[in-house]
Amino acid sequence: MNSPKSDLPQGTLDLLILKVVALGPLHGYAIAQRLQQISRDVVQVPQGSLYPALHRLENKRLLAAEWKLSDTGRDAKFYRLTRQGRAYMHDETDSWHRLTTAIGLILDAADGEAS
Amino acid sequence: MTWWRRLLQRGRVEQQLDAELRDHLERLAADYRRAGLSDAEARRRARLEFGGIEQVKEDCRDVRGTRWIEDIAQDLRYGLRLLRQSPAFTLVAVASLALGIGANSAIFALVDGVLLKSLPVRDPQRLVLLDDGSWTNPIWEQLRDRQRDWSDGAMAWSDGRFDLSRGGTTEFVEGLWASGGFFDVLGVPAVLGRTFSAADDRRDGGPDGPIAVISYAFWQRRFGGEAGVIGRTISLDRVPFTIVGVTPPSFLGPTPGRSFDVAVPIGTQAIVRGQGSWLDARSTWVLEVMARLKPGQSIDQATAALRAIQPQVRAATMPERWPPPMLEQYLRDGLTLASAAAGPAGFRIRYERPLWIIMAVVVLVLLIACANIANLMLARASGRRHELTMRLALGASRFRLARQLLVESLLLAVLGAALGLVFAQWGSRLIVAQLSTPRSTVALDLALDWRVVGFTALVAVATALLFGIAPALRVRRVAPIEALKEQSRAFAGERRRVFGAPLLVVQVALTLVLVVAAGLFMRTFGKLATLDIGLDRDSVLVVDADVTRSPTGEDGRLALHERMRAAVAAVPGVSNAALSLITPVSGSGWNGPVELPDRPDVPTRERMSFYNSATPGWFATMGTKLRAGRDFNERDVIGAPAVAIPNETFVKKYVKGNPIGQTIRFERGPEGITQVEIVGVVQDAAYRAVRDPIPPVLHLPVAQAHGGTAPARLSLSVRAASGSPALLTRSVAEAISHVDRDVSLTFRPLASYIDGALVRERLLAMLSGFFGALALLLAAIGLYGMTSYAVSRRRTEIGIRMALGARSSRVVTMVMRKIAVPVALGLAAGAALSYWAARYVTTLVYGVDARDPLTFAGAAVFLVAVSALAAWLPARRAARIDPARVLRDA
Repeated sequence: MNSPKSDLPQGTLDLLILKVVALGPLHGYAIAQRLQQISRDVVQVPQGSLYPALHRLENKRLLAAEWKLSDTGRDAKFYRLTRQGRAYMHDETDSWHRLTTAIGLILDAADGEAS
Repeated sequence: MTWWRRLLQRGRVEQQLDAELRDHLERLAADYRRAGLSDAEARRRARLEFGGIEQVKEDCRDVRGTRWIEDIAQDLRYGLRLLRQSPAFTLVAVASLALGIGANSAIFALVDGVLLKSLPVRDPQRLVLLDDGSWTNPIWEQLRDRQRDWSDGAMAWSDGRFDLSRGGTTEFVEGLWASGGFFDVLGVPAVLGRTFSAADDRRDGGPDGPIAVISYAFWQRRFGGEAGVIGRTISLDRVPFTIVGVTPPSFLGPTPGRSFDVAVPIGTQAIVRGQGSWLDARSTWVLEVMARLKPGQSIDQATAALRAIQPQVRAATMPERWPPPMLEQYLRDGLTLASAAAGPAGFRIRYERPLWIIMAVVVLVLLIACANIANLMLARASGRRHELTMRLALGASRFRLARQLLVESLLLAVLGAALGLVFAQWGSRLIVAQLSTPRSTVALDLALDWRVVGFTALVAVATALLFGIAPALRVRRVAPIEALKEQSRAFAGERRRVFGAPLLVVQVALTLVLVVAAGLFMRTFGKLATLDIGLDRDSVLVVDADVTRSPTGEDGRLALHERMRAAVAAVPGVSNAALSLITPVSGSGWNGPVELPDRPDVPTRERMSFYNSATPGWFATMGTKLRAGRDFNERDVIGAPAVAIPNETFVKKYVKGNPIGQTIRFERGPEGITQVEIVGVVQDAAYRAVRDPIPPVLHLPVAQAHGGTAPARLSLSVRAASGSPALLTRSVAEAISHVDRDVSLTFRPLASYIDGALVRERLLAMLSGFFGALALLLAAIGLYGMTSYAVSRRRTEIGIRMALGARSSRVVTMVMRKIAVPVALGLAAGAALSYWAARYVTTLVYGVDARDPLTFAGAAVFLVAVSALAAWLPARRAARIDPARVLRDA
């Protein structure tokens, strides 16, 4: 919990959510937990802001939602990836990789020059 | 879920949102509990980590994409709730808007019908009118026979009236003499049967004999819309016509403001009128000529083509026995075409200026109503400052609050406009009914069309913006902290201006303009209605007697008319009866040039006079006084010296010295020069119009004026000994039918002819008076409301002043002084505005200057009195404030 935390670059929250949900249907709380776990607490999403993002993705039909009985014995809203969502995720992942590789190259080159 | 389902199932969506977020919180709290925290602490930590749950909900709602609709729905709900909370405000606002918007729509419907609507025919932009007046039938026949040379088809028509009765009292319908191509050139099809063809337009009737086409309205009115009407016979002026077709309901006739019931081919006039027909009359100008341009042809090209055939047309139609200079002029006058998209312009020209003036008046009334409502809304917005401030403090955006105020305005405007449209329908019909006289029915297409509805919608939105924008703008000035501090108690009086004094200035200025206009038009009508026109308007019944169908021949007509006159004169209650050719103020006239032997160089049009023929006693019957000499008598017949009685204007203009005994020479069409001796002079009396200067008129004896016989139609004036002349109708009709059963008669009191001549002035006086009063009422309501509101705001302050010894008269003065300055400024601005606007009404006022100081002053005094009263009522209430109670409440 004491490790440094990073703010998420604009627009990446959507991609992370899609990636997490790609593993199987999850409710909102589980998505928040999973994000935190996978990123080893580096990425911390303010819990509240998760929901507008989920609803936006649902409205864009990248996610579909379903109310199902959950482990607590109450109905919970489970999100799963749609076909459109999966395609979108792949596209975005690819472009993310291209971008980070490019940025990495630039940063490394700059380092080399300085040393 | 699609966006509209999200909207429709808003309740369920909200419920699910709540459940989802709550589930999240529960799980978070459960995790903390598992980590060993107490239940309360776990919940607290969960809430902290999650953030404001309502805030998150708002963010989720934002991404739904239906936010704006929900917000507007919410604004509407708030707006309706607020309007319900203050029913008095709502009622005043909606009622004044409905009157304002309704007046605008009503007048616009008239403007639309009279000035804007094109003829409901095929491609009206291609129609042209042979310009400037009417044409003779011989000219038309020439143009018709050569129509392909200059157009794609030409047609002509003349308005007329037909008597449906088969004898006795007449029953007139609006008629149309139409050429064979009339309907085809206009592009008006028949909804039932057929229209005319060139073959029908023959002097002996076409292959089907005399035929008629009837209008849709007449078909409905007279035949109940029965399909079997085709082939039925209808009697027009005692001649049977076969009905062959019905025109569409949208087609009222070629002339705006006038509708037709029955159309017959021009050629059938030979059958209907016989000798009296104008088919071969070369100086009877009765036909309007219209044509359709060839594809690609411009008006100028068509005019040029027409000019090319003009010499033949003119040469073949030279009027007989015109003096040579007039004939030269006749040959020279160039034929010109003008656009006819909206039909001939007579009615339009007559009513164009009055209509625009009334349109301006109603726009001003609406502006005044808007100023009123803006003031009321401002006052309310100030009263709601606390509420608005709270909402700002709670995070509502200023835009959102301003929008809500605008939505409230729009709500009022829409309610007002809906009610206004109802007023408008009723109002415009009422006005058109006022325009009609018994002699000519005014008909306009007033059906709600997209233009009127669109105009109303536009006006509603514009008004909402007008009175909504000021309160909405003020919202921006509310600074949360300051306003919260200030709260609702105002000991310090009006540090801020609570209401808009500028609005009051505008309102008073506009009201003054309208009151001045009302004053001018009402005085004009008053002057005209009581003007000494040399006629006794209230005791004369005018009987139009037409002996065309009588078996008596032309030679016996003079005697027949005299027998009828004598029979009517003997009827009990009749003090006098006399005949004349022309009924004054009926619109018809007879004119021609007078010879001036000592001044041969005076051009013809500067030595014109009007003429009339009359029997002995006619002047006494009409109430026109004899100024010198004698009246006509029984000895003034053919063979005796020809005599005449001019009016004073005639004598002043054309006679030198003592007129009695002098001779006058004048030109009469078929008879050439006639010479008469003046035996008397009569007072100037109205001839054609009431408001124009009285022209020179020369009266001749009926027995001498028509070559020893009499025209088929003469007007029999009957003077009642006492009481209303209309009561004599039945006994006069009986007396005449004893003389001859086949005379057709039309009865009408002289007063109604005179009223008919003053329709425009009466309408202007009525409407401007009504709207002036309305404006005054609105201004008074606004002033009263504003003063009341100011007083209620300053209640505490006034109470303290009175506790400190201010007398009640001082309180009244203090309150009224606040109003006095804007009212004075408004009066000054209004006077300047009226002075400037006077230029547009000079031609419409009579006997009073458009910048008449008395009218201006009167209007100002009236307005000041009304304002003073409207401000005094609340001021007096302020003076009765009980200081003790105010201080206790504070």
